[in-house]
Amino acid sequence: MRTVERFPNLATAIVLAALVVLPLTVPATLASQIAIFATGALSVALLLGAVGLLSFGQGLYLGVGAYVCGILLRDAGLGLIPALLMAALSGTVLAGLLGSVIVRRHGVYFVMLTLAFAQMGYFAVLAFKNVTGGENGLSGLPRQFDLLGFSIADPLSMYGFMAGAFFLVFLLIQRVIASPFGSVLAAIRENEPRCEALGYPVARYKTAAVALAGGIAGLAGGLHVIFLGFVPPSDIELEMSQRLLVIALIGGIGSPGGALMGSAFYTIVSEALSEIWPRWMALIALLLIGLVLFLPGGLWGARRRISALFARNTAHD
Amino acid sequence: MSTQLLLFQVLNGVGIGMIYFLLSVGLTLIFGLMRFVNFAHGAFYLAAAYITYAVVLWTGSFWWALLLGPVLVAVLALIIERLLLRHTYALPHEAQILITFAVALLIQEVVILLFTPLGHNVPVPAALSGIVFLGPYVYPAYRLAVVGVAAVVAIVLWIAIERTKMGSILRAGSESAEMVGLLGINVDRVFMATFALGAALAGLAGVLVAPLRGVEPFMSAEALGIAFVVVVVGGLGTLSGALVGGILIGLVQSIMSTLWPEGAQLMIYAAMALVIMIRPTGLMGRI
Amino acid sequence: MMDRRRVLTGMAAAPLALAAPGIIRRANAESVLDVAAVYSLSGTFANVGSGLNDGSKWAFEQYGSAAGHKLNYVLLDDRGDAGEAVRKVQEAMTQRGIKHVIGCTNSAIALAVQKEVYARKGIYVNQAGADEVTGKDCNKSGFRWPVACYSAVNATVRPLIDKFPKAKRWYTITGQYVFGDSLLSNCKDVFKEKGIEHVGNSYHSLSDREYSGYIATALSQNPDVLAICNFGNQTVDVVRQAISYGMKRNTKILAVWSTGLDQFQALGPENCEDVYFGANFWHGVDSPGGRRVAEIVKQKTGDVPNYLQACGYAVSQILIEGLNKANSTDVPTIVKALEGISYEGPTGTESIRPEDHQVVKDYYLMLGKAKSAMKDKNDLCSVVAATKALPPPEKTGCQMAASL
Repeated sequence: MRTVERFPNLATAIVLAALVVLPLTVPATLASQIAIFATGALSVALLLGAVGLLSFGQGLYLGVGAYVCGILLRDAGLGLIPALLMAALSGTVLAGLLGSVIVRRHGVYFVMLTLAFAQMGYFAVLAFKNVTGGENGLSGLPRQFDLLGFSIADPLSMYGFMAGAFFLVFLLIQRVIASPFGSVLAAIRENEPRCEALGYPVARYKTAAVALAGGIAGLAGGLHVIFLGFVPPSDIELEMSQRLLVIALIGGIGSPGGALMGSAFYTIVSEALSEIWPRWMALIALLLIGLVLFLPGGLWGARRRISALFARNTAHD
Repeated sequence: MSTQLLLFQVLNGVGIGMIYFLLSVGLTLIFGLMRFVNFAHGAFYLAAAYITYAVVLWTGSFWWALLLGPVLVAVLALIIERLLLRHTYALPHEAQILITFAVALLIQEVVILLFTPLGHNVPVPAALSGIVFLGPYVYPAYRLAVVGVAAVVAIVLWIAIERTKMGSILRAGSESAEMVGLLGINVDRVFMATFALGAALAGLAGVLVAPLRGVEPFMSAEALGIAFVVVVVGGLGTLSGALVGGILIGLVQSIMSTLWPEGAQLMIYAAMALVIMIRPTGLMGRI
Repeated sequence: MMDRRRVLTGMAAAPLALAAPGIIRRANAESVLDVAAVYSLSGTFANVGSGLNDGSKWAFEQYGSAAGHKLNYVLLDDRGDAGEAVRKVQEAMTQRGIKHVIGCTNSAIALAVQKEVYARKGIYVNQAGADEVTGKDCNKSGFRWPVACYSAVNATVRPLIDKFPKAKRWYTITGQYVFGDSLLSNCKDVFKEKGIEHVGNSYHSLSDREYSGYIATALSQNPDVLAICNFGNQTVDVVRQAISYGMKRNTKILAVWSTGLDQFQALGPENCEDVYFGANFWHGVDSPGGRRVAEIVKQKTGDVPNYLQACGYAVSQILIEGLNKANSTDVPTIVKALEGISYEGPTGTESIRPEDHQVVKDYYLMLGKAKSAMKDKNDLCSVVAATKALPPPEKTGCQMAASL
């Protein structure tokens, strides 16, 4: 059982502070990437944390959002915000459709289906290469945007935009978890048969959560494309799904704040290690094993544990 | 498509399907008893393929690899089970999935460390390097032998599960592990043995596939994806499900590669989606 | 970053300035030029990336300096991810002030990085397989060493048709991706022109590992030649599986695009024998440039260079040739110097076309030897034909701005 975060405002303050500090400590492009993958990881954390659904396939929606955003920017001449909204919408619609099928299956079946459908998205991108550019990806997207008179082109303004987007999604998820809808999701997580017996349309609730998570992942895909000026085919590969999952787990799924922490950790560590030792994934794997066995709450959970310890100590004084 | 070509593709599809069966049967066995999906299944297949490569390189004999591949992988699985997995049985099943996923990553990286990321060739054993004429069709002798081995494995497993004491424990365990434990059987040991057996079967698939496709460090992810599709289509936890699912997916892949080649891979997943919409438990599934 | 370093060198030298003006001159002459190399050292393409990276790095060690600047090799590991490549290049260019970029591990990375480097007014020498790099997606910043689809097909399919005029029925197996399709469409053009009957084509996808279905379809057509239009491990797999189905008996097998030695080794002599391959580099071809590559690779590995090492070496060499000819690190000057340049490259005398920035070089048609005919373990194939076959510049679809 997770304890309910007592001070969501504290979490918000920490996240906000981290977002401000981030570009001062790492290069701005790296900071942007951290914010983008954190947004993607939020969709995993929402499903796993709020509903207890483990998804190995959020990369599918991130990829779809990326392609939709890329195509609309390049060929339909859509602006920044409309293209991003469409990316989020496409993720929502697809996740809603697949979700309505997948949520009927429980436990491992659900996990396997998410992975299998993620694979399918990748093959679809390759099969319809006239639209998607196949293995070359889509290049030639606009590199400069205007938002309410501000120009978004240099790494720092780009980061500002990405961080802002992440923060909005973060607030949204906090609201959702605290809402009556979130309470029902939590109830489903704790005891699904009982919810069903109480007359809640469990499948519909789960589908809605999957759709929302899909929309968030789709938005993250759109953000990635805007940041890169290019749609990398790796956005829809299985590896992306795994990356989002690993990030969410490292951060800890108990609170949406963990996504940012996990993303920063994963991105910075992989960046630092890959220059020293190309087999850095082995260390990530060891870290994952350690997390599962010793620190199920992830880094965010560790923070809470430490602060709890601290609180106890001060109480003793 | 002519009937002749269709027949050939059917034959071929069954051949691919038997390989897919070998790949998935261990996964389904482990799930049946232990109720968790082993995400390291593809990595065991990968490890065995590389053991094959190394053994053939050192001894020049594929037959040693055929013996050592499954055995060493079973030992590896035992170590992993004792060292890590056993501590997760009491945790939610996500913990088992994640830890096996991490193990898979680790095995893949170790393989790259030991053997470089470059792919390698494993020669087909000399005795089976020819081709066989099946009526008007040509079929590689080795591939035919693989189909034979898979068929033997299917029969042996079926007998073992349906007709032996160990099999009855397995079947009872898949209904209720707790109950079996109350009957005085050491469930812990049964879990261990099953996990090793499942891994050994993945290992066997890895050994047999190595001469067909060579080895490369990223072959595990594809294998895992296919194994998932097979067990979802066939029904998780049943032997017959792995067989039916494997052959069905093999046929879809083989026939679609003539009809709509761009979409052959896509259609595998479409077939899966179709099956779960019509029969959510899979074709042979009980649960 | 570079500017800051210059300032720092200047400051350190200041107290000595009056006493020893010579030292300052040397300090300036020894100033460092950072060159970014974009390769995948982990991820799915790590096998390609590490070989390329070795070649590029060794070339830098061999040359040491260019245009009076000490060369500093800055590796950007993209981990096989085109998005990561773009991000790292962005970072290197905006935050470290790097303007000179080389290398790519796959075409998606090259296409994306070339756009990025151009947008930030740098120079980018790469080894992309996709013809778009010097075709419709060409730009003033980008230069490409290997010749790809058009050349690969025209330098292999044509000589083979001439050699076996009776082999009229050709079947193709094609990777269902941009590169494979491009090889296929070039094949079709040659078939049409030469009156070849194209009896069928099978597509496979980028993630296929199982080709028996496609090979069975090919077999049912009884072709005289099986042409394989794909890349990477898949080429090796298709050749291997086609042979296991007995295709060598009455069909000639041609892998239009291969990476040469490492793939021949992966196949082994028993599979290579009597199979035709196309390749961009072969260590057995003797030339001054080739000898220089062989020398450094021998020193590093004790073995002969393979395609990846040569390819990595070549992109470094082109940039260095450009720097030296321009005698400047100024990007537009280097671009101008490289347009029309001729130099001794790994495959002999190579030159660069100003119209599309494509290197003009040989592409080889090779034939696998019998194990008994091999002189050493690397002597797996012999060169049947070496052809410089490039599409005329006006046909490439490349529209380049007059200046950067």
